[in-house]
Amino acid sequence: MPLMDKELVRALQRDIPFSDRPFADIGLLVGSSEEQILESIRSLVQNGTIRRFGAAVRHRELGINANAMVVWIVPENRAEEVGTIMASFREVSHCYQRPTAGDWPYNLFTMLHGYTRQECRATAESISRATGIKDYELLFSTRELKKSSMEYFRGNGEDEMT
Amino acid sequence: MPLPRTAGGLSLDDLDRSILNLIQAHFPLVAEPYKAMGEELRISGEEVKARLERLKAGGFIRRLGAIFDSRKLGYASTLCALEVPEQRIEEVAGIVNSYPGVTHNYLREHRYNMWFTVIAQGNEELISLLDDIEARTGLKPLNLPAVRFFKVRVDFQVKGEIGVASDG
Repeated sequence: MPLMDKELVRALQRDIPFSDRPFADIGLLVGSSEEQILESIRSLVQNGTIRRFGAAVRHRELGINANAMVVWIVPENRAEEVGTIMASFREVSHCYQRPTAGDWPYNLFTMLHGYTRQECRATAESISRATGIKDYELLFSTRELKKSSMEYFRGNGEDEMT
Repeated sequence: MPLPRTAGGLSLDDLDRSILNLIQAHFPLVAEPYKAMGEELRISGEEVKARLERLKAGGFIRRLGAIFDSRKLGYASTLCALEVPEQRIEEVAGIVNSYPGVTHNYLREHRYNMWFTVIAQGNEELISLLDDIEARTGLKPLNLPAVRFFKVRVDFQVKGEIGVASDG
């Protein structure tokens, strides 16, 4: 990745300022124009490098206290089809297929969030009906032990080579 | 009529909620984004900025900026789980959390009770981090890197009645 882009990543992964022209301000940090910064962001959003440009909210502060990682046993030959159906539910924020291992038999993972556990259970039931998958468990979180944003290219100069 | 209270003690009104609903997935990528948000909400850009400051200070907004796909940046990532005896949870959490590459860590209700995500600059570094956790805790993490991606879309719908006690 060219040097400029790593600097851009570093600048963008911090909070953008609450100023009249925040992208112009970022441009000053990295020696680019406001329009160049905006174009770069749009292009990174377009190609998926930036998954989302916006606010990460503290959902627990907002009362969204029921957070379930629902794990499912899905036959391999149905994984693609089932995962796609699961992802179509608005309440599902994350959906991945992962490997099984030893005494862990679940291969599909969906994150569900709600105001109450009952809400999450009801959504899981809907997903189960929609997919025909009956083997599943809801693993509710009880404590958020750590929630941080990754600092990419923390850079001590060593990754500055292009 | 009192405004709904939240766990943090700061009250949110409908405008705050509209801002929070707008700002997660619909942040305007324009030169004057707060003014643009204000136009949508029929308030001034100044008020948008002021409310955002307050929401940030109040702990409702974690951060505002780009959320990157770590894999597209050349990083490796995975989800891991540990089976931690009850009396060792604080100790093990302290060890796991000490790595900057461990971004999220949650306690969950299951025999595998500690679930954490790891991001590293490549698979070697990732495995090395997990080996280090195993060496320091005596517990071997279950390593479950994604084999298929279906969705990541975080966009919480902020509703009116908050502060209701959950059973979670």
